Amino acid sequence: MSIYINSIAHISIQEPMSENWFHSPIMYRENYVRSIEPDYSAFIPMMTARRMGLVMKRAIATALKTIRETGIENPDAIITGTGLGCIENTEKFLIAMIENNEELLPPTAFMQSTHNTIGSQIAVFLKCNGYNSTYSHRGTSFDSALFDAVMQFELEKISSALINSHDEMTPNYFKLLSKLNYWKEGEISEEVLRDGKSKGSFSSEASVSFMLENSKSKNTICELKGMEMMYEPDIEQIEVCLNKILRRNNLNINNINAVVVGVSGDKDNDDIYTELLSSILPQKPVVWYKHIFGESYSASGLGMYVAATILKKGILPKHLLYSKTCTDASTPQNILVYNHFQNKDHSLVLLSSCNN
Amino acid sequence: MKELIEELKKQIIEVLNLEGIQPDDIDETAPLFGEGLGLDSIDALELIVLMEKNYGIKLSNASEGKDVFKSITTMAEYITNHRIK
Repeated sequence: MSIYINSIAHISIQEPMSENWFHSPIMYRENYVRSIEPDYSAFIPMMTARRMGLVMKRAIATALKTIRETGIENPDAIITGTGLGCIENTEKFLIAMIENNEELLPPTAFMQSTHNTIGSQIAVFLKCNGYNSTYSHRGTSFDSALFDAVMQFELEKISSALINSHDEMTPNYFKLLSKLNYWKEGEISEEVLRDGKSKGSFSSEASVSFMLENSKSKNTICELKGMEMMYEPDIEQIEVCLNKILRRNNLNINNINAVVVGVSGDKDNDDIYTELLSSILPQKPVVWYKHIFGESYSASGLGMYVAATILKKGILPKHLLYSKTCTDASTPQNILVYNHFQNKDHSLVLLSSCNN
Repeated sequence: MKELIEELKKQIIEVLNLEGIQPDDIDETAPLFGEGLGLDSIDALELIVLMEKNYGIKLSNASEGKDVFKSITTMAEYITNHRIK
């Protein structure tokens, strides 16, 4: 069973629905950056959009873009990852509860205040009655959604799946996470994030949708060769899982051309990546993406997007290199995407080029 | 009454998030549901909350709602006669 990524769409702090970040990324100096919104009227009728919060509009728009590009109007599965769900509406609803003494609650905010509103609204919008599930596991929500799809493809239960992950960051929630040292204070720069000696990263938002299919198309971006998820693994267990993926594909560690990691500038987070890279994958070119896309619970979806785009374009731009030098000058054929959240949940995804 | 109608138009635009619509675009005699603004049952709930929150009017009889929410003018008339805020 093969799995192909046939379309990807994103709305993030980089130019939405665009690959301009690949050559000319927008760099930020603030520690709290909201997504750049596209013109939603091209995707959602005004009378429908008025009831949607920002995260819903982003979800529908990215989903529709992948549908338009692939022609898959009714995917067999819609699987969503989200750490915070419709947090803006959740806050609206809770604030109204407090202000109005638990009476006079606004129905629209209430209806759209749950985590699975996103996946279900996409299904309603597409009139899609297929499998629909939502995973909410903070920084590995996207990974969990993807893992569900991979297992269903392997069992041949589905032939297409819309995998998507969405997170917005409200000013309130940003402040709450600030108290837990999630965000750096002061001016952000690539150097500050690369330094990785202090706590925190910079806050952003992410919406990303992928259309996966079991067959190639003329627009195929890359192939998803395998995936593993682990809970609190040690280095040896991660190595075992990696080798399992490689063996299944008749590959070995030398075939991996680059590793995409979720290095974010947060010392505790980054040390885990550094340890793994030096133990299992020394000398491999290391790619990061959170210095241009920021940190959010859906950021790992953008990590896979970055890896897929590198494979599609066949080049690894310098600004994405976390390691100081790139020893591998060949066209990237296989890229490993490694993500972990607080060193508890870990995921490995292997993507391969379809250009040959 | 004219003042209340204008006030209601602004409140409805805000509560129902009618982006791109100005108070002058709304015909106060046009039907709120189906035709006219084309509102639906969820909007009706929002309007019930609006009436109670801003004017202290509790609409407990569902059949009464049909007449009250015919148009912005009928809403304004009902509010004028029943408001306690």
